[in-house]
Amino acid sequence: MIANLVFFLKEGIGGLVRTRVAGFVATITVAISLVLIGIFLIITVNLGRFVEHLRGRVELEVFLDDSLDEQKIQELADKIKRFEGVENLTFISKEMAIYEYKNLFKDQQQDYFEALGYNPLPASFRIKPANDYRNAVGAEKVFKYLTSISGIEEEDIVYRREYLVLLEKYNKVAIAMVFFVGSIVCLSALLLVSNTIRLIIASKQRIIETMKLVGATRFFIQVPLYIQGIVQGLLGGIIAALFLYALIQVASIGLSGFIKVDWRMYLLLLNFGILLGLAASFAAIRRYL
Amino acid sequence: MILKLHNVKMRYPNGEGLELVNFEMRNGEFVYLVGPTGAGKSTVLKLIYMEEFPTEGYVLVESHNSMYIKNKEIPLLRRKLGIIFQDFKLLEDRDVFENVAFALRVTAARRKEIKKKTLRALAEVGLSHKSRKMIHELSGGEQQRVAIARAIVNEPFILLADEPTGNLDPKTAVEIMNILEKLNARGTAVLMATHNYELVNHTSRRVVSIKSGRTLT
Repeated sequence: MIANLVFFLKEGIGGLVRTRVAGFVATITVAISLVLIGIFLIITVNLGRFVEHLRGRVELEVFLDDSLDEQKIQELADKIKRFEGVENLTFISKEMAIYEYKNLFKDQQQDYFEALGYNPLPASFRIKPANDYRNAVGAEKVFKYLTSISGIEEEDIVYRREYLVLLEKYNKVAIAMVFFVGSIVCLSALLLVSNTIRLIIASKQRIIETMKLVGATRFFIQVPLYIQGIVQGLLGGIIAALFLYALIQVASIGLSGFIKVDWRMYLLLLNFGILLGLAASFAAIRRYL
Repeated sequence: MILKLHNVKMRYPNGEGLELVNFEMRNGEFVYLVGPTGAGKSTVLKLIYMEEFPTEGYVLVESHNSMYIKNKEIPLLRRKLGIIFQDFKLLEDRDVFENVAFALRVTAARRKEIKKKTLRALAEVGLSHKSRKMIHELSGGEQQRVAIARAIVNEPFILLADEPTGNLDPKTAVEIMNILEKLNARGTAVLMATHNYELVNHTSRRVVSIKSGRTLT
């Protein structure tokens, strides 16, 4: 049994070395396919993250009438919070508004408020929509809800409606592009892998023939071939993961670390590699056994 | 009787094949299967090691009948046969020892046994001193001797040789024939397919002729 195991491992791993150019080319082909798939995954995931990031900045601001007293403001806040589309609400007092304004325009020499002699800025609620409402339709629902509350008028509410509509539009275009590019990437990977399979088949033809001739059982022929496929796929996966890791490190310098890659993506690439290797071995076995 | 082909007909998808083949072999016999190229000699050998199956009739090899043999029994049959080809069919990426040992390794033999039997088979064909040479470092005759060592390492009761001297010069061909004769003298039956009529014209061995897929004698 141990002798068999040693034979399988030696044949499987040794098979990769023995096939030389074919084995090397096949491994590199698997690696290239995985790099293509990996780049596609990184773009998709990071594009999603970027859109989420932009959506996260969406807020609605409700300006309050100066005549409202503290109790009335509290009542309004309670009513707003009650809506499921509202994640949180921040009260900005008149004083805070002027502080923020001065902060925002601190380069300006003149103090207009000093000249006016009073604070013209109204107090407001800054409303952050819940996760599902951070889009054009959701924000509009929050807006509609706010207008339904007595004491809040349409013109009191400000939010970047056009920005959200544009974001949705560009997101749709981006998704369509990702799918288009993704399909091309997957198709290219498929072509590359089928080429790999042909290479592996060609490199294994002789050994399968010889094994059959000297009376090897199907099991004895198959196991080393599957091991070789796994090793080949794993190696391709490791090469692809290392390449992508280096690529991301280089790209991050320019993009100040905005691109983030989960370690699970590398794991996914290794699994993909193993799967491709196994598929190639399976095809070789079906063809010649 | 160790081998019998009874009223065998066999057709390949392209229409070629065997029309009617009948012959038997006894234990320890040396038989030449002679005929022109394309007559069906290789097909007869393939039927014996059950790479192909008759469309009519049957092939009986020891106790294995082509009509009843199961797929999983074919490897067991082949371990009892030794097969040699004109193009040697050696594994170029391994040395001489590994090429011969390979036939034992795939039968899950023990390491000690593999070493002992491989060295014995190499000694039998006079290649003990070249056991660590790579295949491309050998001459054609030496490569065929490696193939013979691989064929006999499992101690088969019959050697099937498909034009084993076809690629060799006359002197080397004689050497290979001498090895086959020696193995036969020790009790291994030999069935050798050849189109070399000169070779069989001077032999006292039994000759089975095949022409256009039919055995004539």
